[in-house]
Amino acid sequence: MNKARFFFPDVRLKRLLREPGGITVGEALVRADDAIDGMRDAFLQSIDQKIAEIGALGQDDAFSATGRCYTLSNEIYAEAGMIKLIELSDVAHNLCDLLSAGGKQGASAKAIRVHVDAMRALRSPAASASGELRRAVLSELHRLTAHLATHAHDDVA
Amino acid sequence: MATNDPDAHINLSKARIMLVDGSQHSLEVTAQILKGFGVLTVHRFDNILETQKFLKQRTADLLVIDPSIEGGAGYDCVSELRHSGGPAATMPVLLVCGHVHKADVMRARDSGANFVVAKPLAPAVLLQRLLWVARDKRPFVDCGDYIGPDRRFKFEGPPAGSEGRRAEDLKSPLGNAVEPNLSQDEVDAMIKPQRVMI
Repeated sequence: MNKARFFFPDVRLKRLLREPGGITVGEALVRADDAIDGMRDAFLQSIDQKIAEIGALGQDDAFSATGRCYTLSNEIYAEAGMIKLIELSDVAHNLCDLLSAGGKQGASAKAIRVHVDAMRALRSPAASASGELRRAVLSELHRLTAHLATHAHDDVA
Repeated sequence: MATNDPDAHINLSKARIMLVDGSQHSLEVTAQILKGFGVLTVHRFDNILETQKFLKQRTADLLVIDPSIEGGAGYDCVSELRHSGGPAATMPVLLVCGHVHKADVMRARDSGANFVVAKPLAPAVLLQRLLWVARDKRPFVDCGDYIGPDRRFKFEGPPAGSEGRRAEDLKSPLGNAVEPNLSQDEVDAMIKPQRVMI
């Protein structure tokens, strides 16, 4: 077994933070939130493009683009969460779970389509305006996902 | 200085921060958040090759990296940085992860990163972790395979079956207690309880 060496490196960041001047924590957080708000439209456009791409990739029943779909849904999860589209972020996270659990065989194309449809529904103007509708979309998604999981053998057949 | 004190001052105007992420949108928004914090110098990279080139020639005050870039190459990038022996080898590293499994968190810890931050990235969380990194009191450990902040922050003693490598690690089993246990009042009388702030 190697002998471990312990040491304390100089952390310049620590010294810089303490220098005179700067801004307050409250001001920093307000400015950061404003910066995110300023990018909201760009985020929405990017999210819509990614949903469309997953939808196109998921058309194929012999689903082979799992890796790309996982990357896209992971990005939607992060981007939607950042602009506080919580339900959309949740659906994208569920899709990540599904795709990563699918292994080499890939996830069921039907299950992916159900998630894509849910994300599209959540991006509709009606769902954007109604929390009740968004919760209903999530509830329906969970019902369909459970149904697909129960009938996974039928799906394969 | 704490993120729950909105009047505390921070000065990040001279900090140089590296951002590495495969998503241009994530890079852009994280850079904007950091600029909101007052950071003036943000180096952005959307691939590992350019990141490694930069780190061979220069250093920064903080590396914020999504390890899932290029199929998980971010973990290896941090590990190689720690083993590089250059001036950047001990720079603070924050891993910013999207969808993760428990194994990914273990891999993040073993890569030599200081902290892991889960996406979606909230400004308050990023600032809090940035302050944690700056004030991280853990020593660095170089034990050959692993170089990075001490992973044994729970002080549970050396792993079972090993004698331990620290001078203060006990070499033999503890004997039975020779005095009765202290009551909570007796403990409090010896050590003034402190409020913990993060």
